[in-house]
Amino acid sequence: MTCSKARKLMALYAGGDLSERRTRAAGAHLDSCPACRKELEGYRRALARAKAAAGAEIAPDWSEGQWRALMARVMGDATKRKKEQAGRVKSVPRARWAAAAGAAAALVLAAVMLLQNGSGFRPGSVATAPGAAEPMAGVLGDPSAQDVVSVTLVSQETGLQVVWFFNRNFEWKGDRE
Amino acid sequence: MRMNETEKELVAMVLAGRTEAFEPLVTPYRRPLVALAYRLTRDREEALEVAQEAFLRAFRSLGRYDVSRSFRNWLFQIAANEARDRMRRGARERAALEDAVHDGSRAPGPEAGREGQEVRADLMDCLSALTPREREVFVLRDIEELDIRETARALRCSSVSVRVNLSKARRKMRDAIRARHPHLEETR
Repeated sequence: MTCSKARKLMALYAGGDLSERRTRAAGAHLDSCPACRKELEGYRRALARAKAAAGAEIAPDWSEGQWRALMARVMGDATKRKKEQAGRVKSVPRARWAAAAGAAAALVLAAVMLLQNGSGFRPGSVATAPGAAEPMAGVLGDPSAQDVVSVTLVSQETGLQVVWFFNRNFEWKGDRE
Repeated sequence: MRMNETEKELVAMVLAGRTEAFEPLVTPYRRPLVALAYRLTRDREEALEVAQEAFLRAFRSLGRYDVSRSFRNWLFQIAANEARDRMRRGARERAALEDAVHDGSRAPGPEAGREGQEVRADLMDCLSALTPREREVFVLRDIEELDIRETARALRCSSVSVRVNLSKARRKMRDAIRARHPHLEETR
């Protein structure tokens, strides 16, 4: 190994940061080269001084009050995060319960109305939705069927809409998805 | 340096919801972490802010901590990243370095006498001669004594990059010490 190459490796050699192979090669050169050994000593002294300086240095620190405040902030952060997580967990079932309750209420209402009017589903007499662009399956000949009540059920999860139509007598006239 | 059993238990407790275990977990690193932040930022206020943020980040990301790794080194990694982010964000680095160089009273030490003061000033002066990356590598490897692999991991770079920057940093440090204190070089 030449002096030039050895000196390029010297900074890392001084701290023991070369690979084994390079360490051996540089070591062999240093054994026979006083000039490079002097170079190495320069690095070692510089490292020793830096470490001594770091040991002697007084870094800033928090007062005990500040440290307590920091730890309190960490605890506060933890509490806040727990509450946020709990809030997220609670809100999901609440929304689902609301959707389910709404759907059940609509079903009960529809069932009650159907039972009261004593009319079941009649496939041939489906109503037209008010304002609908196209008539559904068939048209009502009865002019009274123009007074139509619709009940819309919307699934919050899928977005699917089902519309039920009733005439003025709350006779179920059909549905549409 | 691997994580000890007490630390493992404390980490497990915090993760199980016993947040009061966080304080005994990090208290041994309170001063080392601030010292590291100070060496990287060269600004006392900035160092305290970096360390504070590092502790908060450590708490928030404790679930991602790999227990096979040294807890100290993991904390150092967080602090080094925080210091770097801050230095990138702000333009305070130059002012902080100049303050450190020109205001020796900001880092008083216990040692009395000229040589003790010179030694401390060396570190201040010489670190200011390094680029931010060289300083990070030098502080973590040579002052905090992380090995090359851990230094690379902490700085999210390759071992080759660490070696290149470390070599440059040591050369600059040696040259700076030689230039400032030729008498000390001659007498040793």
